[in-house]
Amino acid sequence: MNTITPHHFLILAFLLFGVGFLGVVIRRNVLLVLMSLELMLNGINVALVAFSRAGANLDGSIFVFFIMTVAAAEVSVGLALLVALYKKRKSIFTEDMNLLGN
Amino acid sequence: METVAFIVLLLPLLSACVTLLFLRKHGNVAALLSVATAGGILAFSLYLIFAGGGETFAWEATWIRMSGWELSFGFLMDGPARLLLFVVSFVGFLIHVFSLGYMADDDAKARYFGGLSIFMFSMLGITLADNLIMIFVFWELVGFSSYLLIAHYYSTNEAAQASKKAFIVNRVGDFGFLIGIVLTYWAFDTVNLVEIENQLKDIVSWNLENPQNQILNPVTTALCLALACGFIGKSAQFPLHVWLPDAMAGPTPVSALIHAATMVAAGIFLLVRIEFLFTAQALSLIAILGAGMGLYAGFCALVQRDIKKILAYSTLSQLGYMAAAFGLGMPGLALFHLMTHAFFKALMFLGSGSVIHACHHEQDIFNYGGLRRKMPLTAYTFLIGVLAISGVNFLSGYFSKDAILLSAYNLNIPVFVLLYAGAILTALYMFRLYFIAFEGEARSKNAKNAHESPTLMTAPLLVLAFLSVIGGYHALFPDAIVGAAVPDLTVVAGMDNHLWMIVLGTLAWIIGIVGAKNLYGKVGQTDPLAAKAPAFFALCRSKLFFDDIYDFYVRRIQDPFARFIEVMEMLFISGLMVRGSAGIAGLFALLGRACYLGKIHAYAFWFIFGTLGFLAYAVGFFGN
Repeated sequence: MNTITPHHFLILAFLLFGVGFLGVVIRRNVLLVLMSLELMLNGINVALVAFSRAGANLDGSIFVFFIMTVAAAEVSVGLALLVALYKKRKSIFTEDMNLLGN
Repeated sequence: METVAFIVLLLPLLSACVTLLFLRKHGNVAALLSVATAGGILAFSLYLIFAGGGETFAWEATWIRMSGWELSFGFLMDGPARLLLFVVSFVGFLIHVFSLGYMADDDAKARYFGGLSIFMFSMLGITLADNLIMIFVFWELVGFSSYLLIAHYYSTNEAAQASKKAFIVNRVGDFGFLIGIVLTYWAFDTVNLVEIENQLKDIVSWNLENPQNQILNPVTTALCLALACGFIGKSAQFPLHVWLPDAMAGPTPVSALIHAATMVAAGIFLLVRIEFLFTAQALSLIAILGAGMGLYAGFCALVQRDIKKILAYSTLSQLGYMAAAFGLGMPGLALFHLMTHAFFKALMFLGSGSVIHACHHEQDIFNYGGLRRKMPLTAYTFLIGVLAISGVNFLSGYFSKDAILLSAYNLNIPVFVLLYAGAILTALYMFRLYFIAFEGEARSKNAKNAHESPTLMTAPLLVLAFLSVIGGYHALFPDAIVGAAVPDLTVVAGMDNHLWMIVLGTLAWIIGIVGAKNLYGKVGQTDPLAAKAPAFFALCRSKLFFDDIYDFYVRRIQDPFARFIEVMEMLFISGLMVRGSAGIAGLFALLGRACYLGKIHAYAFWFIFGTLGFLAYAVGFFGN
């Protein structure tokens, strides 16, 4: 029973996604929230690669490349926003970003 | 021709627009513009009257077209229209000139003269209109401009209330008028006056030629009485007469123009225009109502103290004479009396304006006295007006009023009795006014210090006095103006009992003048009639309780009903439907607002929660 089946990959993917989700929901630091988002995306990537392998086609792998590209772009924009936000508000904690709530 | 008619109609509108848009702050410019406009109207109107050579001129164009239905905009210049056009433009011009003097010190001249121009526009519209709907539109416009002008001194409670009263009471009559128009359209499939008349003629001639195969005549008494409601409201006849005396709260030239010479006469003009629609029953009802008004208003006028109210009741009474003449089947006499009345009543109103102006807005005749020596021009012209309205032989009122009396004597004795009693009363209250205000000694400081008014005010008085003297000789006027009145005048001239009528008519004004001299020759600050016949005096003062009855109706019946409706409205429409639907939307909004926490975690959570929801839907979790 030491063969690795697609199920194991899916469990790993789910765990990664779950950890990322918890990070997004719980963390106060926006930087860490962004990192957690990456984690979620990577969880999805793992699942897609596993599907690609199991299904013996390249659809999933191609999707992974798209996701990685988009994630890179998204992170750069996110970080830029974060820097701008820090310059303006001197804080990167989420509880200080509550203009809508008031 | 139609171009000239358009110019006549649109000149005052243009002047009113320019005044209201640009000249609000320039009273003097506005006044001159308005007077110049009135002069222009007079010139073009005269062209319009004489250019046709006495022929009827009709023109129309499509105004509004809806599927299968068309409303025209047209002019109809026939005899009555020419006569009224002459009265409106001529008397209107004189009153504009008089206003220059009377309103010289007013703060809101621009508003006043703008209002006058709007009035001229509306009144000319009624005069020229060729169909009932157009008449109705301008009918409402004169009501509106009358409201504007009565409320000129809007800071006084009296004027504010009077303007509302005039407007609302007129609305009652106009509602009947509107029903009448609808009935007419239903019966004839058109509202054009000429077409209706032609249809009626066809029906009547067909019925004469084919006695076995009659067509039902679509005219009913209900139809013409509904149309007559418009006349009753606008001409302030029983039972809607209550607004006219109150309307005297407006500036005096307005009372002269609108509430004596032209607008109230528009009711008579309307009757004459739709005369062919009237059945015999409706005519006799109008005759009795008019004659009754002639007498009733006389009694009211006898006990008033306010100079303008006396003249207002006198106007009511004279309008009653016109209505009676119309009811007797003599519309030409009504028109002729309309014209002479416009001359001498405008003269007296302007004379009273001159007096009021000289006495610093004192209007109680018992505070005048001895004004003949202070302001002779005003006094003598006023006296001419008094003589004319009393029917003194060979003045204008004598010809028009005695013609009505004579035809009543020959056609309908009850109407004659009422009118004749009214004629005696007319002489009595008019000479009462004259003796108290102009003769004797001055009874107040204002009257002592009175002085003759400026030429701008006395010149129109002189012109009107001249017309009041000669206005009765219809042969002096061009046929284009009085053509509509001549046939009926000829009929009356051929009637019996002429000499007898002259004696009776002369007797009436002599009784009036002697009675007034005896009763009011020497007065103090109180009315001598109140001491001699207190019960009669009180009855006349009460004006037969019409105001009280209407007041009771409004307060005790209409107001509670309105409040009941209001409660229903608040409960069901604004409560249940408006607030109810808004409340449901509000509930959803509350729910949505609860999600806006201002915490980024919460948004992320909702986002993912929502995504999961979509996912669940996509895999068929909700059983789809």
